[in-house]
Amino acid sequence: MTIALVAGIITAIIIVGLVLVYLVMRNKDASGASDDAFGSELTNIKVGFDEADGDKRADVKVSASDEASKAPDAFTKRFIALGVLAVGVFGSLLARIWTLQVKSGQGYVKEAEDNLLTSVSTPAPRGCIYDARGRELVGNETNQTVLADPTVADDADTVLRLSAVLGIPAPVVRQRIQDASTGAQSQRVVADRVRLRDIAFISEHPDAYPGISVQARTVREYPYGALASHVLGYTGTPTDDELLQVSSGRKVESTDAVGKSGIERQYDSVLSGDQGERRMMVDAKGDVVAVVGETLPKKGSDITLTIDAYAQGVADQVLADQIAPLGDIGTGAGVAGAVVAMNVKDGDIPVMASYPTFDPSYFTNGIPQDIWDLYNTEESNAPMVNRAVNGQYAPASTFKAFTSLAGLLYGFADYESEWECGGKWDGFGSGDVQKCWLHSGHGIMNLHDGIVNSCDVVFYEIAKAFYDHGPDGSGEISETALQDYIKNYHFGNPTGIDLPDESTGRIPTPEWKAEQWRNVPSEAAWRGGDYTNMIIGQGDVLITPLQLVVAYGAIATGKLLVPHLMKQVRNGDGEVVYEAQTEVAGEPDVNQEHLEFVRESLHDMILESHDAGPSFFLRGLDAAGKSGTSEHTDRQDDAWFVAYAPYDDPKYVVACVIEEGGGGAEVAGPIVAKVLAALFKGESEDPASLEVPKVPGSSGKSVAVKVAGGARTD
Amino acid sequence: MPLPQIESVHAAATPTSTGARRHRSRLSSIVCWPFFIACVALIAFGLLVCWSAVQTDADYSFSRQLMGVAMGIVACMALWMFDYRKFGALTYPLLIVSVILILSPHLPFIGRTVKGATSWIYIGMQVQPAEFAKVTVVLFAASLLSRYNGRLFDLREYCKCVGLLLVPFLCIMTQPDLGTGLVYLFISAVVLVMGGARLRYLLITLAAFIATIVAVFAVDEVLKYQLPDGTWEYKLLKNYQRTRLFVFMNQDSLSTTDEGYNLKQAMIAIGSGGLFGKGLGFSTQSALGFLPEAPTDFIFCVLAEELGFFGVVVLIALYALLIGSAIYIARTCGNLFGMLIVCAIVGMWLFQILENIGMCCGLMPITGIPLPFVSYGSSFMTVNFAMLGLISSVYSHEMAPMTGAGYGSSR
Repeated sequence: MTIALVAGIITAIIIVGLVLVYLVMRNKDASGASDDAFGSELTNIKVGFDEADGDKRADVKVSASDEASKAPDAFTKRFIALGVLAVGVFGSLLARIWTLQVKSGQGYVKEAEDNLLTSVSTPAPRGCIYDARGRELVGNETNQTVLADPTVADDADTVLRLSAVLGIPAPVVRQRIQDASTGAQSQRVVADRVRLRDIAFISEHPDAYPGISVQARTVREYPYGALASHVLGYTGTPTDDELLQVSSGRKVESTDAVGKSGIERQYDSVLSGDQGERRMMVDAKGDVVAVVGETLPKKGSDITLTIDAYAQGVADQVLADQIAPLGDIGTGAGVAGAVVAMNVKDGDIPVMASYPTFDPSYFTNGIPQDIWDLYNTEESNAPMVNRAVNGQYAPASTFKAFTSLAGLLYGFADYESEWECGGKWDGFGSGDVQKCWLHSGHGIMNLHDGIVNSCDVVFYEIAKAFYDHGPDGSGEISETALQDYIKNYHFGNPTGIDLPDESTGRIPTPEWKAEQWRNVPSEAAWRGGDYTNMIIGQGDVLITPLQLVVAYGAIATGKLLVPHLMKQVRNGDGEVVYEAQTEVAGEPDVNQEHLEFVRESLHDMILESHDAGPSFFLRGLDAAGKSGTSEHTDRQDDAWFVAYAPYDDPKYVVACVIEEGGGGAEVAGPIVAKVLAALFKGESEDPASLEVPKVPGSSGKSVAVKVAGGARTD
Repeated sequence: MPLPQIESVHAAATPTSTGARRHRSRLSSIVCWPFFIACVALIAFGLLVCWSAVQTDADYSFSRQLMGVAMGIVACMALWMFDYRKFGALTYPLLIVSVILILSPHLPFIGRTVKGATSWIYIGMQVQPAEFAKVTVVLFAASLLSRYNGRLFDLREYCKCVGLLLVPFLCIMTQPDLGTGLVYLFISAVVLVMGGARLRYLLITLAAFIATIVAVFAVDEVLKYQLPDGTWEYKLLKNYQRTRLFVFMNQDSLSTTDEGYNLKQAMIAIGSGGLFGKGLGFSTQSALGFLPEAPTDFIFCVLAEELGFFGVVVLIALYALLIGSAIYIARTCGNLFGMLIVCAIVGMWLFQILENIGMCCGLMPITGIPLPFVSYGSSFMTVNFAMLGLISSVYSHEMAPMTGAGYGSSR
């Protein structure tokens, strides 16, 4: 508005000036003309006389005066035309330029800026990740990087000097400088992880290295090696798909590090920080003329996890000692395993271990091909898989806690019910004999004994009752009554943990079975045997270790919690911007008396177990729990153990599974006891006094697995 | 071809004055002060802009431009002191000199062809003789028309004049150089109008001119042929000439051609200057190479970008003062030949200003016509100085005692 006003005034002044000039000149002209008037008239008369050749003298005066008034007039008109042309030219040009410069000037200013300003981003350090007691699990290592302006590629001397000091062949140096993948104007990385003395040399001789700069960039650093590596995840450059899916308001470039798995991926936007930006002037050829502004990158927020590094370290090590004490899988018992712990009071996950494992530091500069190949071999047994949330196993006898509650609810069992176990059972009279794990039989058993001794026959009888009351029997209950009850504990559903791509497990239903076997109709029918399999956690049931932990938490407290790994987020200024809240997913509708009965039975189970019990007593743990051994026809049994402690005021629940590990109580039980003890120790003692080991990644190798003799011991 | 004899021509219809009736000091009898001030200011302003424009481009040197100014001052002074009326009788020699100059690039050894135009000769340095021919063309046209005493009423004579005036234009189209050719045409047209040709004839000529243009396009439509890749190519006016001519007409889809890109960048440069510009030497469009040919054809954009609308107004005001005072000199000139010389030069400048600035801001087709007193180019500078010298000569000799076969001498 003011600009228009000023411009208007200026134009007015100009116009007035022009008019004045014109008037002055006209005036001068007129005075000159008045001076001339007689002369010119006289001349004209004379000329007119001359030209009026042969005319009568009498006409001379008339024609002369006629000429005098006429002839100058003809030129005046033409001079006026010339003047109008000049005014028209200047007027139209001024009008046009007024439109361009003043009326639509702002638009052109922007276009001119678009022409010459460009920006490239500088990567921001990612936030660090800490454990619950403040130990740094993922940090940033300073990486001295040598950068070169794109034009240095043409400077043979500088390239040679760089080659000499960095020890990189000159053609490689030139090739790296010419690599425009980070943007035409961006500085190119000549070398990273450069020795400090070389960095010092280059910075001290700027004359010898024109266009070269040194920048301290950061790369991920893992002080404890593979500790909790599945939880933490790893970073890498984004794939094309990931680049397309970047959320709005965030800039990701193809060379940035983004979270690829675990917490790094789940909370990538929290950790990634804000990229810095260099705004530069470029000329028409695209060469940088000047740097006009630079915003520094802003480090991402720090995350504190619920993980307790001490207990986590114990869990990682115990798993490694169990499965690969000599480094390769097969030198111990089992081929893979997982341990998960949850705080039943708030849903914190202090321990989540999976074996085999990987060292995320392998991946900070792109995954080396040999590591990638190694971890993709069959014998490496999938080290990248987090078995705590993505391993799906038959829960075996650990399931009996829930199925016994179902039996009690429907009245198919009560505290006094008694059954006789003869080691085998054919309740349906089909001739397909099902065995108790103790082939010699447990003798007379009530439900409490059935849980404590994990007697299968007791549960076969309850399963039979479900079958007999279902649609194929009396029809009093639905054919999914047992499954529906189990689903109260959210089996078959994700727990909601803050990790990407959690597995859901599977609770088989007649519908599912029909669909699964639709091409083999003879197998598709829902039978009594499906109940008896499911009730002891075998057959088609699949759960993840995390689901089991959450469900046992509900046994211990009555509440089903949503587990979480993130405890706290602190922004760059150290302010807490997010704090995890305890989230209750549900409260299974259960008779309190029944629940108490099951708890007592689980308590007694550990008290009476010869295999697992001592591990707990020795560590002073008053725990309740359950073993499980899931049988396979083609390989070794999977070992399960789950327990919570302290019994009278439960705090932690821990589950362990060892694939092909053997008997649950014998193999997994002691691991659970050790991790429980480590949890209580880790939370009560000063972190400084506790040593957290640096965990190595798996070797990726296997040796022939020893086949453990004997059958299931539960 | 017989022309009216000089002796029979009198500066009859021109208002004349004699020295006796002018009361001027000795200096102001040879210096027209408004004109002189306009020239000095314009040249200084032009040099300032030119200096700024050549700063970032090593292909151009400001000292070369200063050399052009020096040569120009010499030419200017020489012509100023020379009695222009001596050219008056030399109608045919002037035409012959013009034709020789214009056709000289066709000579073997010294002729040079650049970008498809045979417009340069190399004589120790590369010069464009058609630039210098502007001076002779102006003198030729003025001397031709001055023979008719301001009354070119005879159709035969009129046709003869038009035919002779077309000779330089036809010659330069052999190079070809449409831009300079148009300047010649405009000089001829102004001289015809101011020289007193009958209005009816002028209108008929204008109509014929337009009809010729239409005919060129119409004949081209007939003569066009298809290239192997399916596009049409014309014979008289080639496609590249068409894009240059018509790019300013569809400004929504600029940047599809080189000319479109040039025009777009020129308009960005002008527009981004705003009211007061980015400051001398702070242009981004020209300094960083977005603007093509910044010191020559598009120098106006440099001025508009660096000094803004304010600088543009100053430039236009200086031009207005120059042209206005020149018209004043012509109007008060007692000699038809002198008046026609000044009018021809005024017309030439007006056309160059309109075409050059108009081209930069998308009003006119893009042709290579430089901006008087501002554009880089030593021969162009010299020629414009020569024009100043001619005008000054007209002013200062207008009332001096006639010598030889001058117009007034027959009285």
